[in-house]
Amino acid sequence: MRKALLLLTMLAFTTAAEAQLPGLRRRAPPPAQPVLTGIDAARADFVMKSGADTVYFGQNSALLALPAKATLAAQAQWLLQHPEIVVRIEGHGDAGDTRDHALAMGARRAEEVRSYLVLLGVPAMQLAVTSWGKERPGAGRAVTILVR
Amino acid sequence: MTTSYFLSIAALAAAAPASAQQPAVTVVAVPPLTTPDSGSKGGQSLGIGWQATQMIVTDLRSTSELMPLPPDRKDFYSYPEVTAPTFSKWRAAGAKTLVTGFVQSRADGRLTFGCYVYDVDKGRELARKGFVVGGGDWRRAAHRCSGLAYTAVTGAPGVFDTRIAYVAESGVGDAKVKRIAIMDSDGFDHRYLTPGGNIVLTPRLSPKAAQVAFVTYASGQPQVRIIDVDSGAQRPLLASDAMTFAPRFSPDGSRIAFSMMLGPNSDIYIVGANGGYPQRLTTAPGIDTDPSFSPDGSKIVFESDRSGTSQLYVMNADGTNQRRLTFGSGWYGSPDWSPDGQWIAFTRRDAGARRIGVIAADGTGEKVLTTGPGDEGPNWAASSRDVVFQRTDAARRNLIYRVSIDGTEPRRLEIPQDGADPDWSGVMD
Repeated sequence: MRKALLLLTMLAFTTAAEAQLPGLRRRAPPPAQPVLTGIDAARADFVMKSGADTVYFGQNSALLALPAKATLAAQAQWLLQHPEIVVRIEGHGDAGDTRDHALAMGARRAEEVRSYLVLLGVPAMQLAVTSWGKERPGAGRAVTILVR
Repeated sequence: MTTSYFLSIAALAAAAPASAQQPAVTVVAVPPLTTPDSGSKGGQSLGIGWQATQMIVTDLRSTSELMPLPPDRKDFYSYPEVTAPTFSKWRAAGAKTLVTGFVQSRADGRLTFGCYVYDVDKGRELARKGFVVGGGDWRRAAHRCSGLAYTAVTGAPGVFDTRIAYVAESGVGDAKVKRIAIMDSDGFDHRYLTPGGNIVLTPRLSPKAAQVAFVTYASGQPQVRIIDVDSGAQRPLLASDAMTFAPRFSPDGSRIAFSMMLGPNSDIYIVGANGGYPQRLTTAPGIDTDPSFSPDGSKIVFESDRSGTSQLYVMNADGTNQRRLTFGSGWYGSPDWSPDGQWIAFTRRDAGARRIGVIAADGTGEKVLTTGPGDEGPNWAASSRDVVFQRTDAARRNLIYRVSIDGTEPRRLEIPQDGADPDWSGVMD
């Protein structure tokens, strides 16, 4: 998001600077609607095609329920079609856990998601994992985030 | 805070006959420290002595075993009376214990502190100690004098010359800034060890409080690093990109036990504090974490969900002889072994609340110390009589509290900001 804004700002600066310089060929005006490019476009497409970037777990469980597996199957399909994309799977523990138990549980959930995606044929090289424990809001879930 | 605590002690004393659990409180007299110096030097030494006296009184008042009489400058005594006090006067004042002492300026600009503890009834000396400190370091001498008095009365180490590390928190939600902070246990010399750009967790002090092992997200995932308190120099615990967390120094400071993820499996490992190849201690599938050493370094208590729910287990420090310690309902976690070896403090989650409890190291005599509902992460004071812990309130703010194992009300620790994951050092010298 930030990157996209930066790009837009840079674009605005360049066009403004060029407009002020006489004798330079005018470029076509920038598109009225900001078009998502690069990783942001990929993220939007990923969420749209796979239905969700997030799967949810029961309390103190790292078991993948059927809805989670369906989401991951769709994610796997998308990832197989985009072998250039690398994702980070971020696991979250539960707010009621103790600090380190939440870290371990978040890591375990992320790892379950990773294993399932690998099972569905996604190359392990595309998949990294981490755990936020209970450091971020949104307990009991794992989120697949496109990194590059 | 000290005032309200003083009041609560007074209230407890009044209710004493009704309560069988009432701990014995020893009344201590701390008349102002004197000096052998004369002239302007004498005035200066007396001034420092009076400040030190007030600090000793504040220290002793923070305990649940000792109750100091308010210090009074009129109780001045001469230098020879340091070792020959008028016991009858203090007996009449109701004191059981008397602390006397002196401050003497040295030719090199430093100060000599003498500290003496007496049993007033028997008219007998219990302990004495001399300290030489830098001119600006009278606080440490006062704390060591408080420790001498506390140990003479209770037999347990004093916690006055100690440090507390914790995670200082500012801001809310996603914007919360977390920094590793360290301070003397009296609240002085408060410092931040990390700048706040990354999420940091669970600072764990080395035995002499010279280093802190902690978890940082600097690499994007949780990993243990070691920071030197004085120089600020940092290094990773392992040269590996694995997720590592829950570090804990061995009591001699030579080793660090920690958790590492291997696939979905969190297991406990041990490695030299200066590096080396980690040795794996647990192999059970599931979550094994939060190791804490026994004071002789031979055993480790930890949390494991191998039975289905998280419970506490004890093993030898080489991983052999793993046995279950707790069998209660709910969940047990974040154990901490007391410095005297007798107790293990833990977090227990049951009936929707997280509470702090203790259990004897042999698995008997479990008792709950707090009401919760958002308490976690107990850590023992050097005295083995108090634990500090984190309390998350209804607004999800983290605060640090201290509770004594005799079951008195938890008291909030005065720190500059909200705080999490407290860790209390041993006595520094």
